[in-house]
Amino acid sequence: MTTITAGRLTFNRRRVAIFFLDHVIEIFLIILIVALTFGAKGFLTWANWMNIFRANSLRGIIAFGMTMVIIAKLIDLSIGSTVGLAGVVVALACRDLTAAGMNLNIACIIGIIVCFLGAIAIGWFHGFFQHKTGMPAFIVTLASLYALQGLAGRLSGGFPIANQFPAWFNQLGGGRVGGQNGVPIPAVVLIICFLILWFIMDYTTTGRASYAVGGNPESARLSGINVGKTKIIAFIIIQIMAVISGFMLSGQVMSGTFTFGKGWELDVIAAVVVGGTSFDGGVGKVWGTLIGVIFMGVISNGMTLLNFDPYTQNIVKAVIMFLAVLLSSYRAKLKA
Amino acid sequence: MSDFRIRTEHITKDYPGTRALEDINVSFDSGRVHALVGKNGSGKSTLVKILAGAVKPTLGEFYLNDEKLHFNSTSEAYARGIITVYQEMSLVPGLSVAENIFLGRLPIKNKVIDWRKAYQMTSLLLQQMKVNINPREEVGRLSMWQWQVVEITKALSFNPKVIMLDEPTSALAQNEVQNLFEAVRALRDQGVIVIYITHKLQELPKIADTVTVLRDGRMVGNVQMSEVEHKDIINMMFGEVRIQSRPKDIKAQDEAIMEVRGLSREGWYQEVNFKLKRGEVLGIAGMLGSGRTELVRGIFGADPVDQGEVVIEGKTYKSANPIKMVLAGVGLTPEDRKSQGLILIHSIRDNLCYASMNITAKGWLENKRKRSAFAEKQVKELGIRLHSLDALCESLSGGNQQKVVVGNWLNTSPKIMLYDEPTRGIDVNAKQQIFEIMWAEARKGVSTVFISTELEELLEVCHRILIMRHGRIVAEVNPDTLNTNELYELCMRGDE
Repeated sequence: MTTITAGRLTFNRRRVAIFFLDHVIEIFLIILIVALTFGAKGFLTWANWMNIFRANSLRGIIAFGMTMVIIAKLIDLSIGSTVGLAGVVVALACRDLTAAGMNLNIACIIGIIVCFLGAIAIGWFHGFFQHKTGMPAFIVTLASLYALQGLAGRLSGGFPIANQFPAWFNQLGGGRVGGQNGVPIPAVVLIICFLILWFIMDYTTTGRASYAVGGNPESARLSGINVGKTKIIAFIIIQIMAVISGFMLSGQVMSGTFTFGKGWELDVIAAVVVGGTSFDGGVGKVWGTLIGVIFMGVISNGMTLLNFDPYTQNIVKAVIMFLAVLLSSYRAKLKA
Repeated sequence: MSDFRIRTEHITKDYPGTRALEDINVSFDSGRVHALVGKNGSGKSTLVKILAGAVKPTLGEFYLNDEKLHFNSTSEAYARGIITVYQEMSLVPGLSVAENIFLGRLPIKNKVIDWRKAYQMTSLLLQQMKVNINPREEVGRLSMWQWQVVEITKALSFNPKVIMLDEPTSALAQNEVQNLFEAVRALRDQGVIVIYITHKLQELPKIADTVTVLRDGRMVGNVQMSEVEHKDIINMMFGEVRIQSRPKDIKAQDEAIMEVRGLSREGWYQEVNFKLKRGEVLGIAGMLGSGRTELVRGIFGADPVDQGEVVIEGKTYKSANPIKMVLAGVGLTPEDRKSQGLILIHSIRDNLCYASMNITAKGWLENKRKRSAFAEKQVKELGIRLHSLDALCESLSGGNQQKVVVGNWLNTSPKIMLYDEPTRGIDVNAKQQIFEIMWAEARKGVSTVFISTELEELLEVCHRILIMRHGRIVAEVNPDTLNTNELYELCMRGDE
């Protein structure tokens, strides 16, 4: 009798623990928001929150693509370079095509189209060669990181290409929906990208195939899943998101600069990992990444409001990322 | 050199629901090679685990000379000089032979590794084993038998009293086996008790001094090798096998659904030709390494083939791949369900619906309701026991996992099912259920290719059996006209 009760108790406690661990990052976020609301003046205001979104959306967008890539047990380190290259390409198109007599708007749109085609080509290249040769995605995309950055540097001659864009391109990164105090357009794009990726991962065969490929590529292959195609699609999607992010960043500052986006890959990966996506592949949620992005943004913002210096901020972020991954590996153990 | 003897008294081991070993009394002397044989599930690995300290016996005890042994862990057995060399290789390919043998205990002089001494000690051990291997060679560059010898030499370096070799030749080619045997004899001549676990009976006359046969957890024979013949051992291993007959109503139709023509893959199988009829259960019998697994993987397009073609319902496939084969209505349950058949970290629901993904979906849009319905159907029809469809696949027992692999394919409504060792590592009940699934599918007109190491299973289940040896199909037999021993002989012939 006692043993049965005890058994049931531990069973319930285990379920509570799993629930807690499943939602640990959401719970952390709520606690953090409540604490900052009382501790930091000006935290819980509309303006401040829009500020948080404005500052984090550009990287957040790429994080959704990275979620898909990591779930498929891949990685894309080249996205930072893609961000810089996209701005440079559009700026060059605006400058050189108008110099040849073309309408500025059309020149800009041509630049944008070239970037999207480039994103598809780069994504295809990553997926195709990783799959065919079995080279680690880490290496394939690390090579691209250098190559694309070098290409952006050469195309721009190593200098920012400033003030070439049409006004609407500036709005893309700096504008707001609903006037002066409205929602920044990057935040709107962030939410749209979240919805798209969430839909892909949860409601399409490609999304399910990504989970399968990351969970066990051999089993997926022997079940008749097209592993190569799945990898290529994931790599193309993240490159497209990096390009979109690059447009908004260069529009925001009205300049195509080849160093834009440098080092972003690690921030993006951090947000994905904090959001509970497993580095071993096969496990993760786009929703978790949204929370991860907001979480990282809220921490930076809160610490800035509380006058922490940026160095301390880095240390605190490190500790939080470490704890998040520690807890999710504990969760995996508890479930097994 | 002093004499040792390890002796068991009334060793019994119970697992929930089954008795793995019953009243085992056996003794093994030093300086001899003792073969321990029995088919899968006979209890030989349980006995080995008990001696190695990995498992505690339910009843009975065992002695080294006259001292009673009692182990709480494998390291305690290790410390007493009882060492097991398992099939799974434990060596680090990137390190040298010497480093591997003295891993974690390399000789130290003046706080740095004394390489000269390490190589000397290794040379000495290798000399004792009478093999010519360079202690400085990287293990990854050695051939399989040398690798196995290094593994045994490593065991020897611990000054063991007992070395248990678990199927040491299973990964070796025929000519390599001879070399390994010489090393094993050298080991025996060091005065070690060598316990040699195998299922390859043709090896016994060459290497064993005594043979101990287990069947269904009991010791059915303990004899001097010189006193018995091959067929005596087979009789001891298999005994009077009660063969359950295949239901009479399952008849293969005359029309062939699949034809394999001249399929070859260099080094694995050559010129394979056969026809599979609609509704037929076709067995392929052959020893490990005969090429049977590679053959079905080739048919399914899981591995490339060099020559030949597969014709399914009139359509010719020259270079197949799993994507094409799923569309053609072929399913494969792979040999290793954990690493090739399932995604263990995903739910049972997902695992039941991967192969049928494009059937449950509408175009590229998922239909979750249909997917759940498909999963539930298989759970019900195959009798998969689970708490929830959302539970992870790794939480299931081996038999239930195998049913999930099968269910994954049945959801595609296949016309041809290829089963590669579907009964490995699952209990007798689950085995019977897998057979019943095969029969039920055969009644619906599904054709089956069934591979198994357990020959009596093939006799029980199949309409027709092909014998495969060294990558070729050498015979076709009718299971109603022969018994397990004859089938075994057919699979082994020419191996001597």
